[in-house]
Amino acid sequence: MTALAGHDRVDYRVTMGRVVRSEWTKLRSVRSTWVMLAAAALLTVGLAAAFGYGYGQQIHSGEVHPSTAEAASAAFLGLDLFALVVGVFGVMRMTGEYGSGLIGASLLAVPRRLPVLWAKALALAAVIAPVALAVSVASFLISQVFAGSHGAGLGDPGVPRAILGAAAYPVAMGLLGLGIGAILRHTAAAITVFAAALLVIPALLPAALSQQAQDAVMKYLPVVAGQAMFDLGEAGPVRLLAPGAAAVVLAGYVIVLLAGGAALLQRRDA
Amino acid sequence: MIEIQDLTKRYGRTVAVDGLSFTVRPGHVTGFLGPNGAGKSTTMRTIVGLDHPTTGTATVAGRRYRDHAAPLREVGALLEARAFQKARSARNHLLALAQTHGIPEVRVDAVLAMVGLEEVGHRRAGGYSLGMAQRLGVAAALLGDPAVVVLDEPVNGLDPDGVLWVRTLLKTLATQGRTVLVSSHLMSEMAVTADRLVIIGRGRLLAEASIGELTARAGVGRVLVRSPQATDLRELLVGRGATVTSAEPGVLQVDGLGAGTIADLAVGRGLAVHELTPQHASLEQAYMELTRDAVQYQDQQRVMSS
Repeated sequence: MTALAGHDRVDYRVTMGRVVRSEWTKLRSVRSTWVMLAAAALLTVGLAAAFGYGYGQQIHSGEVHPSTAEAASAAFLGLDLFALVVGVFGVMRMTGEYGSGLIGASLLAVPRRLPVLWAKALALAAVIAPVALAVSVASFLISQVFAGSHGAGLGDPGVPRAILGAAAYPVAMGLLGLGIGAILRHTAAAITVFAAALLVIPALLPAALSQQAQDAVMKYLPVVAGQAMFDLGEAGPVRLLAPGAAAVVLAGYVIVLLAGGAALLQRRDA
Repeated sequence: MIEIQDLTKRYGRTVAVDGLSFTVRPGHVTGFLGPNGAGKSTTMRTIVGLDHPTTGTATVAGRRYRDHAAPLREVGALLEARAFQKARSARNHLLALAQTHGIPEVRVDAVLAMVGLEEVGHRRAGGYSLGMAQRLGVAAALLGDPAVVVLDEPVNGLDPDGVLWVRTLLKTLATQGRTVLVSSHLMSEMAVTADRLVIIGRGRLLAEASIGELTARAGVGRVLVRSPQATDLRELLVGRGATVTSAEPGVLQVDGLGAGTIADLAVGRGLAVHELTPQHASLEQAYMELTRDAVQYQDQQRVMSS
């Protein structure tokens, strides 16, 4: 067996940067990463075109008054789909390792464990963020094209912030998925919990709450807070947080779930 | 060097490892033997920090595995046959592991070549046969050129070529001065690969010895006696407290008396003896003897839980 050349002189310590590189390799070296991101992006932008067209029709028929808020709402409606796909992708970053047994090899290489989770979060955010930004910009532009003469412009008040908010929302959902995956470890369980907590509960909760309670509670749900980040006001039926506050709430969910995942990753047998 | 001290691991009410202590030294292949469920895998997983000990310690080169700055340089481990994701190529799998330590890509290609996977390294690892998967696991274990190698049942499911390959590899690694710990539930396998043995049952240490010491210790002193007057001889020996069985006329298997004593007794009575052969217990018998209780206990547990 040949030796690892010159290993006495080279520093082979595990560092955060090295673990991030490793996680990036894991992410990029599986074709499904790119297939999934491309498919979700195209579908989302396609939806934005359809919603933009529908918005244009509604204005023509006088159902809706043209406004930047309505135009933005139509543009970003499809982001929920993108966020769902990205969230499931985030779940799989962790549960895929447990399902395959790769987690054993990963934790042999990084027995301090936590850097693996942080590096996964960084690599995940790094791959989702640019795609999400592109999807967000493209969704807005194509939606306005299909809306016709009443579409909003990139320079309209609040629009740049809404575009950034719409790009940040899927990143947060991906990280929430990662946290849930780290906590539950099983793919089916984690995806079920992710979908139930983020999509089903927000849809069902209003039926159980008075209007007053809805106004007090709904805005703190992760999906609703996410939507608040790209909302330009006066559009939806639900009372929303201010965009900055919504971002803080969403970041809070991400931190709590990742911290929970980290604590369990550290404590449990792998 | 691996040092296990008073290691205990409980899962709920089940005790997998029970106050286990032993040391694995460099330069030898140390066989880690025990019936299925004896606690071998748990012990190995504890050495590399995948399982946390309930009490006690497992250290490598004087430190817990997780406290080493470059752990893959200390220990290379093969614990599961398939510790990789199917969709990724073998080369990318190894590359991702290498990058955690800044191990260069040339090393990835070197270990792929070492295990004979250089031609298929770019293919999806999910399409690998068990033998190829096992080789990939070995490649991952050798990635960091580690001082200690820990392999859990590495020949399981391998074809004869693969088994021979693993044996040669283990011996080579030990010759290079590495510490090699390899588990198996088959003494026959260990007899041809290992220099030293650590035998456990029900999570407890049963023996820690060289192959030679073990056979000597288990030399229970059965003697094969061939005599034309076997019936008379039998009576004589039983009268002296021996246990005698006979598989064919004129041949006795004598337990409890040495060959010398048997010869003296026969001469004293004027009985002819044509053959007198002390039977050395095989390693396999010695192992069965040692682990009998543990195996019976496992069987009872199985019956009770089914």
